[in-house]
Amino acid sequence: MKPRSLVSQSPTSLKLTTGCEALDACLRGGFPCNSLTEIVAESGCGKTQLCLQLSLRAQLPISNGGLNGSSLYLHSELPFPFRRLHQLSKSFHLSNPNIYADHNDNPCDHVFVQNVHSVDHLLDVMPKIDSFVKSSRTRLPLKLIVLDSVAALFRSEFENTPGDLRKRSSLFFKVSGKLKRLADRFGLVVVITNQVTDFVESSDGLSGLRIGNLRGLYSSGRRVVPALGLAWANCVNSRVFISRSGDGICEERREDDESGSSSVGRRDRRRFDIVFSPYLPASSCEFVITREGICGVG
Amino acid sequence: METSRLPLSSSIRGKLISAGYTSLSSISSVSSTDLARDVNITESEAFEILKMANQVTCSGSSSLINGAKNAWDMLNEEEALPHITTSCSDLDKILGGGISCSDVTEIGGVPGIGKTQIGIQLSVNVQIPREFGGLGGKAIYIDTEGSFMVERALQIAEACVEDMEEYTGYMHKHFKASQVQMKPKDILENIFYFRVCSYTEQIALVNHLDKFISENKDVKVVIVDSITFHFRQDFDDLAQRTRVLSEMALKFMKLAKKFSLAVVLLNQVTTKYTEGSFQLALALGDSWSHSCTNRVILYWNGDERYAYIDKSPSLPSASASYTVTSRGLRNSSSSSKRVKMM
Repeated sequence: MKPRSLVSQSPTSLKLTTGCEALDACLRGGFPCNSLTEIVAESGCGKTQLCLQLSLRAQLPISNGGLNGSSLYLHSELPFPFRRLHQLSKSFHLSNPNIYADHNDNPCDHVFVQNVHSVDHLLDVMPKIDSFVKSSRTRLPLKLIVLDSVAALFRSEFENTPGDLRKRSSLFFKVSGKLKRLADRFGLVVVITNQVTDFVESSDGLSGLRIGNLRGLYSSGRRVVPALGLAWANCVNSRVFISRSGDGICEERREDDESGSSSVGRRDRRRFDIVFSPYLPASSCEFVITREGICGVG
Repeated sequence: METSRLPLSSSIRGKLISAGYTSLSSISSVSSTDLARDVNITESEAFEILKMANQVTCSGSSSLINGAKNAWDMLNEEEALPHITTSCSDLDKILGGGISCSDVTEIGGVPGIGKTQIGIQLSVNVQIPREFGGLGGKAIYIDTEGSFMVERALQIAEACVEDMEEYTGYMHKHFKASQVQMKPKDILENIFYFRVCSYTEQIALVNHLDKFISENKDVKVVIVDSITFHFRQDFDDLAQRTRVLSEMALKFMKLAKKFSLAVVLLNQVTTKYTEGSFQLALALGDSWSHSCTNRVILYWNGDERYAYIDKSPSLPSASASYTVTSRGLRNSSSSSKRVKMM
């Protein structure tokens, strides 16, 4: 057993950029390799958008902020948004034609999609990823794994009894351990999305337990907590939170009245927060989702 | 003390020495029967020798039982042992000067509270040279979670070197020669980093540490981030888990004493079901909580991070606030007015 040299590798680990300057600034360059990053948000905040964008951008050369690799999209929430991926890939192809020109292929060729419908299925798929990476005959090596979403896998299958909860948290660590091992072995970026649940005050005060930089997470004006609880929070390296502001549609209408064609209302803005991370300070930024993908605003 | 100094007849003394009993401590640990057989003398003679040896020993300072020390000596030794600073003086204060060497210290808290930050900070601070009041040692970092980021370690190392340079600048009138020789890169080079991906690897590595540290004697801190991660999966037999863990804890304790180094085990927090309600507790259960000498719990108090001494044989329970800055661990701003002038 030999220690790994910390000096031989480049001091800043390789990162996958999001393509949005504001987000990349928050993430100090993007999503890091050899690490497991969780995106927490309520539905409709852009988790999947961001993941789709990442799975395309991973194909960019390293000098352009990509990883020169393909991506594996494990999705547990049906159906997979093929149309949206296709839409994004068209504009991505147009802006980066030279990557595909020589090989006569398409960005969608390098996004592998696998449906996972249960935890057991996921555990079944994982060893296959191992051999997939090693014996890969694809042009680009696998560099990104997206799991969208972890909550859908775990939220349905288990009862709320102490025995089931214990079994469930043991599985959290198993899944996370395997993903981390893959990430470490092949230098992968692993991105996991997670849902939120409404915050319900409990007598012991544990549901409001503060985890990370923010005292409480608020989205659409409600207080929410990441799904799967404290045990799962121990399983990820970094956690980011995407939220929608709560102030309602009225404001959006007023803006519309003033400018006539303003398509970016306050409500469409999403806020991006670093909840915790071993290398990032607390920070936040705002972005909107356009036809071409995610883009930061002032 | 030598056997030859005992008031014995020369023939018996000769027999003792030729049988290998050259020092008093070697005599004090055998029974009179064994001694009689080994040296080929009568048992009553052997008994007399032991009695004499005991008297001499008791009047001297060496011990009756081989290897035992008296509490006074131990206290002196312990006070002479260095501490590793956490770079947060408030935290150092409640820890009695920092993380103490030759102890096993467990630090636990919720995700994002700064466990890994403390780990990285200690692996940098252990290398502060002796001229600057440090240990000039090296660090072993056992990463089970993949949270160690080289860029963060480099950032903290740079800040540490800057602080030392500033200190030299300030003390320039007193020390002319001392220049900061250390470069941030050297600091990274002196962290022996192990990435562990399963509990079997973790056990194997801990078993290997004794040999590794014997070859790298200047290792002064072993950090495990976290001790827990691989032990929260795949263990249906909790009794087995407890056995494996307590064996590991014993090994760490042995290492800490043998090489007088600090062992820092980072632990996660879990909910525990007691008396009808859920409460927060450090992971790995009750029997594990006996495994560490010191136990520090990190928690949020409003918007401030706090550390609390939960268990320690020598320190009073106390709490102190700290912050995590871009330069590493520091005093929290609200208590900065209390920072003493250097």
